[in-house]
Amino acid sequence: MKNIIDMIMAPEYSFTAVVVLFILMIKYVDKIATKKFGYSLLLGMTVFIGWLFTDNVFRLNFFATNDNVPIIFLVFLVVWSCWFSLYKGIQNDNRIAAGGVPLEAEPENREKVWSWPNLVYTELFAIIACTIFLIVWAIVFKSPLEEPANPTWAPNPAKAPWYFLGLQEMLVYFDPWLAGVLLPGLIIVGLVAIPYMDVNPKGNGYYTFRERKFAITTFLFGWLVLWVFLIIIGTFLRGPNWVYYGPFEVWDAHKVLAANNVNISEYFWIKLLNQGLPKNILVREIAGIIMTVGYFVVGIPLFNKFFGNKYLKRMGMIRYYLMVMLIFMTLTLPIKMYLRWSINLKYIIFMPEFEFNI
Amino acid sequence: MKKEPGMAYNMKTLNKVFAVLSILFLISTIWIVLDDYIRPWKAVQIKGLEVKEKVLLEQIKEAEESTDGDKVRSLNAKIMAAKKDIDSKDQEVSKVKEKLAEVQKKIYIQNMKNGEDGSRASEYQFKYEHAFSHNHPKQAAKYKIKMDYYRVRFNEGRDQLKVFQQEEKKINNEMKTYTDKKTSLEKELEKLTGTKDLLLTSMKSSQKGLVWLIRNMPFIDYLDPTIKIHQWEVKNVTEDRYFQQVPRVDRCKTCHLFIDTPGFEAQEQPYKTHSKLTELAVGANSAHPAKLFGCSSCHQGESHKVFDFRSPEHTPSSKEQMVEWEKKYDWHYPHKKPQPMFPLIYTEASCVKCHQGVEYLPMANKLNEGKKLINTYGCYGCHKIEGYQDKVKPGPALKKIAAKVTKEFITKWVWNPRSFNEHAKMPSFFMQAHNSKEEFANKNKTEVAAMAEFLISKSEEYKPFMKYKAGDADKGKELIQTVGCIGCHQVEGLDEPWNAVKSRKGTYLTGTGSKVDPDWLVSWLKKPSHYQEDTIMPSFRLTDSEVSNIATYLLSLKNEKFAEIESFEIDKKLRDGLLTEYLAQFEPIAMAEAKLAKMTDHQRNMELGKRSVGKYGCYSCHNIDGFSPDRAPIGPELNGFGSKPLTQLGYGQQHDTVGHSRHEWLFAHLKQPSLWDKGVPKSFKDLNKMPNFYLKDDEIHSISTVILGLVRDYVPLAGQKVLNAEEKLMAEGKKVASKYNCYGCHKIDGFGGDILAAYDDYNMGPPFLMKQGHRVNSDWFYKFLKNVHPIRSYVQARMPSFNFSNDEINKLITYFNATHKDAKTFHEKPSFLDNRGMVKWNPGERDAAKQMWEELACTSCHTGGFNSEEAQAPNLHFAKKRLRVSWLRDVWLKDPTKVMDYSIMPNFWENGTISAVEGVLDDDPKKQINAMIKYLWEFGYDKSPEPFKK
Repeated sequence: MKNIIDMIMAPEYSFTAVVVLFILMIKYVDKIATKKFGYSLLLGMTVFIGWLFTDNVFRLNFFATNDNVPIIFLVFLVVWSCWFSLYKGIQNDNRIAAGGVPLEAEPENREKVWSWPNLVYTELFAIIACTIFLIVWAIVFKSPLEEPANPTWAPNPAKAPWYFLGLQEMLVYFDPWLAGVLLPGLIIVGLVAIPYMDVNPKGNGYYTFRERKFAITTFLFGWLVLWVFLIIIGTFLRGPNWVYYGPFEVWDAHKVLAANNVNISEYFWIKLLNQGLPKNILVREIAGIIMTVGYFVVGIPLFNKFFGNKYLKRMGMIRYYLMVMLIFMTLTLPIKMYLRWSINLKYIIFMPEFEFNI
Repeated sequence: MKKEPGMAYNMKTLNKVFAVLSILFLISTIWIVLDDYIRPWKAVQIKGLEVKEKVLLEQIKEAEESTDGDKVRSLNAKIMAAKKDIDSKDQEVSKVKEKLAEVQKKIYIQNMKNGEDGSRASEYQFKYEHAFSHNHPKQAAKYKIKMDYYRVRFNEGRDQLKVFQQEEKKINNEMKTYTDKKTSLEKELEKLTGTKDLLLTSMKSSQKGLVWLIRNMPFIDYLDPTIKIHQWEVKNVTEDRYFQQVPRVDRCKTCHLFIDTPGFEAQEQPYKTHSKLTELAVGANSAHPAKLFGCSSCHQGESHKVFDFRSPEHTPSSKEQMVEWEKKYDWHYPHKKPQPMFPLIYTEASCVKCHQGVEYLPMANKLNEGKKLINTYGCYGCHKIEGYQDKVKPGPALKKIAAKVTKEFITKWVWNPRSFNEHAKMPSFFMQAHNSKEEFANKNKTEVAAMAEFLISKSEEYKPFMKYKAGDADKGKELIQTVGCIGCHQVEGLDEPWNAVKSRKGTYLTGTGSKVDPDWLVSWLKKPSHYQEDTIMPSFRLTDSEVSNIATYLLSLKNEKFAEIESFEIDKKLRDGLLTEYLAQFEPIAMAEAKLAKMTDHQRNMELGKRSVGKYGCYSCHNIDGFSPDRAPIGPELNGFGSKPLTQLGYGQQHDTVGHSRHEWLFAHLKQPSLWDKGVPKSFKDLNKMPNFYLKDDEIHSISTVILGLVRDYVPLAGQKVLNAEEKLMAEGKKVASKYNCYGCHKIDGFGGDILAAYDDYNMGPPFLMKQGHRVNSDWFYKFLKNVHPIRSYVQARMPSFNFSNDEINKLITYFNATHKDAKTFHEKPSFLDNRGMVKWNPGERDAAKQMWEELACTSCHTGGFNSEEAQAPNLHFAKKRLRVSWLRDVWLKDPTKVMDYSIMPNFWENGTISAVEGVLDDDPKKQINAMIKYLWEFGYDKSPEPFKK
């Protein structure tokens, strides 16, 4: 059993599984947004994670650094908040479908109360409760402070703080310029831009899913699949030399994986056409360039065909194409991941002469 | 419950929640304060108080026992009586006291008055001078009157004060007559009980009580706690903190409370006193006081961390201790710490980083042993090691080997040196755990046979200049024992007491008969440098008959078992296969095969031989034709090994069997180098090439001590032992002395003297070289080392004629001269002395000298040139040329036992305290000694004896 889990938790399989689960979640959202499902999910997760902790190797790896502890909180909190918002949203959707108003719009829920003590006093509670929580946490799990940094003794694996492990995971697939600068920059820009691009007035002040299905699905895909799950991979499934280790696998720094990554240009010129690489850079990388340009040139009109009618009008040209660009950039991540896993692709365009590698 | 308007919650419920949260908050706050306050090291200190109390109580008891109780009691009684006496004269005493008080009052008042008058006088003097110099004569005159007035008053007052003080003195004396007896008695008592009282005070100060409790309370304990972190900040030896060298902060004393306090030697750790407190470390007067060197400079570890037992990275000394610690402290290997503590047996490794450029270090016995073993086994031949760069290759030169041994011998010897000689220093490369498979062994055999072929074919022509003639083996054995061969060599089957000598500088001679060519042997014994110019083997100036006796004996030592082992030849198929592999390294197989086809059979043998010599690194230890001396040694550099990260040490598949620390890896490596290949699927050419030396465990510990000390740490100049010019010369000289193994025969300032194990009476063996630099004249010494001449005719062991270079002799002499800079008696500069013209007699001095000469019977031992009896001491006619006056005067004649405690030379003057011959020269030892020296100088020769023929 543990061997099977070690095998299927490899990023290529587990990522696929998470994508599939995500699609299923959106498709069967009615089933998921029920209390019954919520409780069984909680039970299932608790049992599974509890079972993980019965394993010596997992426990050893987990407690090697105490900053793994918040990841467990994160998993529960993310799942709970995701389920809760869907539950509330579907509840309201059903009410609206039945011709009613959202729960939040009911007169008894629109009644106003005094900010003292209803708000201020409860905020004080929250402050105290948080402080107690932090104190106890600090006592029980000592901070994982190590020796002063020493450039000749870099730890292996050298891991970023847990909240950046998703970014670090991206470095496996992209050139540092992209994974370290461009993509994180786009994430920030994209998050900042959301309020300006989202012109759908529905859902203000109440939970809903169906009225904002596209927006919620897009966001949750980025958040759950491309961010949270990558953090989990980075935390639990990456060991020395950033090699994949199953949750029950001992971290042996000498683990060897055959990883001969190949560029598109090499696929094209050498494997396909059976000749040497051309001297001219542009000619050499022509296949990759065509693919990249094609991705946008063919992809965007295709995208328009499905979503264009509905959103182009509603959002206006600029907003719409900005959104499309952001979505296309986001999708490069899973695309590149799958290309790496399937054909050991290193770079689509590889121009070290200009430090331009995609 | 119905909610109030405008309220989402019930106020009472909110208050309850608030109450509960507040209580939880309070609890968590108390918890975190306690969590911060309660630290494991505090418990250690509190227990330390008990230990201290126990030890102090013992000391107090001891002090009590050592004082005379009766005397104390009688003194106390006397004091009581004296007190009573004073009490009985109460009236008189109180009268005196009153008088004293009265006069003291007067003195006080007078002092005040005088002070005022004096300052006024000074004030008016200033005013007067000021007015006078600024041309205000009227004012000046006015001030002068005032000034004079106060001056007169002040002088009168001072006289009056003296009168009062006199009076006070008188009254005090009067008082003393009453109290004197008591005071002196009390003083006497204090002398007796002083130690005890001090101990009691010390005990009081460390006792737990209310004040102690308050001082160590949480929040207050920042003021002046007694339970606190003790630390030494060590600026001399720093730690690397990311591009910055910071002083080490050693907080070890926090738990090792009494590490610097004598008296706790018998306590358990961590309460023990440092075992080398007074001489070596920690103690204020030791060589490395804790204030300057701390603890971690030597012991290493995370010395600034004191939280609990694990935090400073203690390292267990043994497997048992490790198991104990794992249970007790949850100890485990520190994987992230660059330099955990050294296990106790390796602590001396730390000496190396500060004491560089020296051969041996006083007090570092383990380290010295390790350095000696590195010399013996020649580790430096294959591995670059700091301090060993300039040493001669550890193995003999093989350039003329054909004249010495046969090809079969080389084959069998290289294949397994231990089959010939179980004490062989030559390590075993073959038939180890990793290459004993038949496939590998056969290839190895072909390589060995090819190497033998290569060595013999490449060998230069050498014709022994002497022919072997059979002699008397028994006499030969006797000679080996007595002339001094065993100062370097060992042979099995020697007689008592000679078999007690365990020197390993030279070859183990058992089995020589199955090894060497007889003609070569006699030539070698007669003149070693004839065969190898740079050999360190000296000539013992043996006569031809002596040579043939020794040779006969050595050739009789045969190794029958070895002779029976069959030699083997090159397997041509395997040879060609191996060669093809070599040739195909950078070329395609077809080309390699074509190249091979062009080679003759002999060429192929030679090629494989040469490649194999290169592969196994034979050239690293032996001089071999065809291998330039500049070729890099085969092994990896060992400098910096002590700082190597564990991840860079190849564990092969032994992660679970070999401990995860540098010293455990090194131990396993030296014990069985082939271990790392176990279970690893390696091809023939990639097999581990480090050979097996069959080292014993304690040998490995000693060698490891040196290697673990080769760290990359930066040590500031202030922390290094910087050698001054003289010390550098000394270190160089010591290297020469150990190259030629002077230490094999001579005990030089307490070090060495292997051969002396065979002597009951050291007078009959090679002399101790104590303070040799002070003893002999440098020019004599130079000539002696160049051409040895007789000194002690009664000693059978011979001072050999070494093949020293001029430079080496000079280094040796400088070494000996420099060693005695610290001898307080050495006043003269160690220069080339002119001994002529020393003798200028004072009136009557010569007669006195002659009288002493007769009475002290010098010639009964120093017979040389005086009578025909057998000498028991050097010929004094040659003393003038050889010895320094200051040495004779201030050291030797004054007290010979201080130099050589075994000497039969009588201690006539007993350190210059008594007269040797009564009634001579005013019984002044100094004058007597001077006269004796002059006498010696008068009849002494201005030359040394004829040197031995080489």
